[in-house]
Order: sequence, then C-alpha cells, then structure tokens
Amino acid sequence: MTTKKVTYNEAVAEIEAILEKIENEEPDVDELAEKVKRVSVLLKLCKDKLLKTNEQVEQILKEMEE
Amino acid sequence: MEGKLTLFELNQQIKESLSSAIPGTVWVMAEIAEMKENRNGHCYLDLAEKKGTEIIARARATIWSYTYRILKPYFESTTGQLFTQGLKVLLEVSVDYHPLYGLSLNIKDIDPAYTIGDMTLQRRETIDRLQREGVFNMNKELILPLVPQHIAIISSKTAAGYQDFVNQLENNPIGIKFHTHLFEAYMQGGEAAPSIIAALEKIFEYEDFFDAVAIIRGGGATADLSCFDQYQLALVVTQFPLPVITGIGHEKDDTIIDLVAHTRLKTPTAVAEFFIAGAEIFLEKLSRLKEKVVNIARKNLEIQQKLLENYAGALQLDVTHFIHEKNKFLVKKGSILQHEVTNFSYNKRHELSNLKHNLRSSYSHWNNEKKNKLEQQKTFLIKKTEEKIQQNQVLLSRTTLHLKNGLLRFLTKEQERINLNESKVRLLKPENVLKRGYTLTIKDKKIIKSILPLQVHDEIETRFADGKITSRIIKKDEA
Repeated sequence: MTTKKVTYNEAVAEIEAILEKIENEEPDVDELAEKVKRVSVLLKLCKDKLLKTNEQVEQILKEMEE
Repeated sequence: MEGKLTLFELNQQIKESLSSAIPGTVWVMAEIAEMKENRNGHCYLDLAEKKGTEIIARARATIWSYTYRILKPYFESTTGQLFTQGLKVLLEVSVDYHPLYGLSLNIKDIDPAYTIGDMTLQRRETIDRLQREGVFNMNKELILPLVPQHIAIISSKTAAGYQDFVNQLENNPIGIKFHTHLFEAYMQGGEAAPSIIAALEKIFEYEDFFDAVAIIRGGGATADLSCFDQYQLALVVTQFPLPVITGIGHEKDDTIIDLVAHTRLKTPTAVAEFFIAGAEIFLEKLSRLKEKVVNIARKNLEIQQKLLENYAGALQLDVTHFIHEKNKFLVKKGSILQHEVTNFSYNKRHELSNLKHNLRSSYSHWNNEKKNKLEQQKTFLIKKTEEKIQQNQVLLSRTTLHLKNGLLRFLTKEQERINLNESKVRLLKPENVLKRGYTLTIKDKKIIKSILPLQVHDEIETRFADGKITSRIIKKDEA
C-alpha cells in the first residue's frame, strides 16, 4: 500500500533524470530508444494509476466498512 | 405565636427584600453550564461561575419565549456562534424570587460583544498554546503527495456538502480516479470535537493507505464553529501524520482547525477542486514531460542522422579523393615505370650489344692471336723437328758407320777369339784330360770335388781315360 504514494514522485523523478541525461549527454541511438521506452512505460504507469479503477484499492475501501 | 412565620410568609418577605435590594436589572457575567428549550419556546439555563475547574456560584435562569425568539438569532448572527452551553455570556437579568420555585434570573438581554471578546481571547490562548508547544505548523510541514488520490473524508453523511463533494470528485472532467471513504462525525455542537477526534483515530489505522484527510461541512445559515476552535481537536490535527485539508464552509475568520490544517479552503467544493486541480496539474506535467522527452529524442535523432549523413558525405568525398589521388599516383608511377623500363631495357640492350661487340672483337682478337701463336708454334715446331731430324740423320749415318766399323772390328775380333777358344776347348775335353792323367772321383753317381762328404769305409768310383775302379776309403786326411 505504501508504494502507491511514492510511485508518482519516483516516476516523475526518474523521467526528469532521463530527460536531463538525454538532454545533456547525447546518448547513442540504442540508449536513446531504451530511455524513451522507459519513459513511456513510466507515463503509462502513472496514467493507469490516475485514470483506472484499482480493484485492490476498492477492496480495501470495502473492508473499511466492516 | 408572635415572631413565627409560615414558609409562604417567609418566602414572600425574601421576595420583597430582594426586589427592594436589587431593583430593576443588573448585568451579570456567567457561563452557560446547561440549557434547554421547552416546547413552548422558553429557554431554561443553568448559569455558573468557575474558578479554575471549581464551580463557585450557580443560578437558574430563564429566557421567556418572546425574548428568546429575538435574542437567539441576534446572538448567533453577531457572534457566528450557536447560543449553547459552554459559552461565556454577559446577560441583563432581573432577580426573581418565586415563593414556590425559588430564585431564578430572568434574562432580558444579552451582549454578544462580551462573548466575542471571550471567544477571541480563548482562541488567542489556544493558538498561543499550540505555538508554545511547537505543534502549530506540524501538519503544514507534511508533504502532500503529488496526486492525493486516496482521500479520507470526515463529515456527516447528511451534511449538505458531503454528497456534492463526492459527486464532484467522481465526475471530474479529466477522469481522474479518486478513492474516498467517509469517516462519519458530528459537524456541530458539543459532540463534534470528540467525534472528529475519533474519526481521525480511525483514519490513523489506515495511515499508509490514505494520501490526505478532508474535513468538510456544507455551509449552514448560522453555524456553530466553536468545536473547530477546540484545543484538543487542534492538537490532534497538528500531529496527524496525513495532511489535513479543511472545507468547513464559513466566510468568517478561520477556525483554529483551519489555521493548523495543511491546507485551508472555504468550502467542500473548493476542496474537491483542489484535489482535481492537483491531479490535473500532474497530468499536464506528465504530458509536458512526455512532449519534452519526445522533442529531445527527436532532436537527438535528427542530429545523429545529420551527423551520419555528414559522415557518409565526407566519407564518399574522401574515398573519391583518395581513389583519384591513388589513380593519379599509379598513372604517374606507371609512366615512370614504363619510362624506366624502356630506359633500362635500352641501356641493357646497349650494354649487351657493347658486350657482344666487345666479346666478338675480343674473341676474334684472341682467336687471331691464338691462331698466330699456333702458326708460329707450328712453324717453329716444324723447323725444330726438321732440324732434329737432320741432326739425327747425321747422327744416325755417323752411328751407322761407326756401328758398321765397330761391328766389323768386333766380328774380326770374335773370329780370332773363336779360333783361339776352339783349340782351348779341344784341350779341355774330359777324355783328353783323363788321358793327361787326371782322374774323376764319383760317389753315388755324383762327381766329388772335396773330401768333406766322404767318410772312412765309403765306397767310391774312380774314372780313368781307359776305365774305372771301385775302391773303399781306408784313411782320410784333410789338407
């Protein structure tokens, strides 16, 4: 449950780190592709968390009723 | 029975004494210890005065319904505070004494300014205390997660603001999923503060799950907000491990809960908007980041592609140049080589023909010389041979002559010697020798020329010219 809170921060921090890296270090094409792929994975992770219903979360909320 | 009164008479006397001692009305400061309204609209109160926690004075009081109908709204609208127990009030009272019901204060008027002053003072004291204790900013110092998506709500199910708040979150236009849970509490009255504390304690059990706590309440017409100024509740809020966001729905001064909360907003709607906006900002940030990454990546790729094209162009140019140079070099070398080969072969041919010429001339020269020499030698040899032959012919003829002469002489000489020897041989014939008296001694058919092999008693033969004898040796004397 705790991971939930840090993930956004971590994801953004990682994306920003990647940004800085590809902006300043001019990686080769392979590395660049890898980084961009990683960013897209992180973005999807964030968006899914933001926009999709999380069954696990709903379950926890339901348990609180009892 | 003089001097004796009935109870009624006594009470009557007390009533008269009191009304003459305290005529008209007086302003009294007191705390409302208890109060209740009856169905006729009259308000019965228990007033008290405390010294510390100890009650040092107490009196019953009444506000008759016709007064209460006017005083209550006036008080509440002026103070922003429910007219309820626990308040310190300044009241204009007349002291009534009823023989049957005893002492009672009849409340004629109320001065809200006193209560406001007291509340302000109390509030000030509470704030000072929280600050003194160093907890005042604790909740503010918590970091609100980037996107508070799990929200614990403290409200009343029936509160006007609650359902709107939930609807607003659920139907947000960008489709952010919020997960909320209501922890019910009273939002006004004396029970409010303890029930909010209880709700917070329950949320504390799910501390890891929730991102934030929203304390919300729809704005009523007049509201009793004194519960949100309570020290104990404020203390719990300051020390709560999750950020607390308030939307208590009032336009007046902030309550203490508002002051110590992480974020203070006016209404539940504002709180919902706050959460949605936060998520929206985050989404925007994500798409900005995405755009930035895409741009940088694209620019990077373009640069690299351009670089590559440049390299390829340069390489082609270099290669062409290189090939051209090498070609030129080769052609040059080839022509030099050809020239040199021609030169070389010409030189060699020249050299060879010279050599041939030299050889031929040397050979003919040598040949001539040799021929000449041979001719000379031949001539010389012929001459020498002829000379030798002549010499030898001379020598030969001389030697022949000499030999002829010598031979003649030798022959003559030999003839003479043969003639001589013929006479000698005649003399030396054994018959002739034997005739001259010599004998011949023979033993075992051998001629004996010495006496050495002969022994005494040996038989020997002795030949004579006319015969032979056999004799035995009697004596042997060596000469």
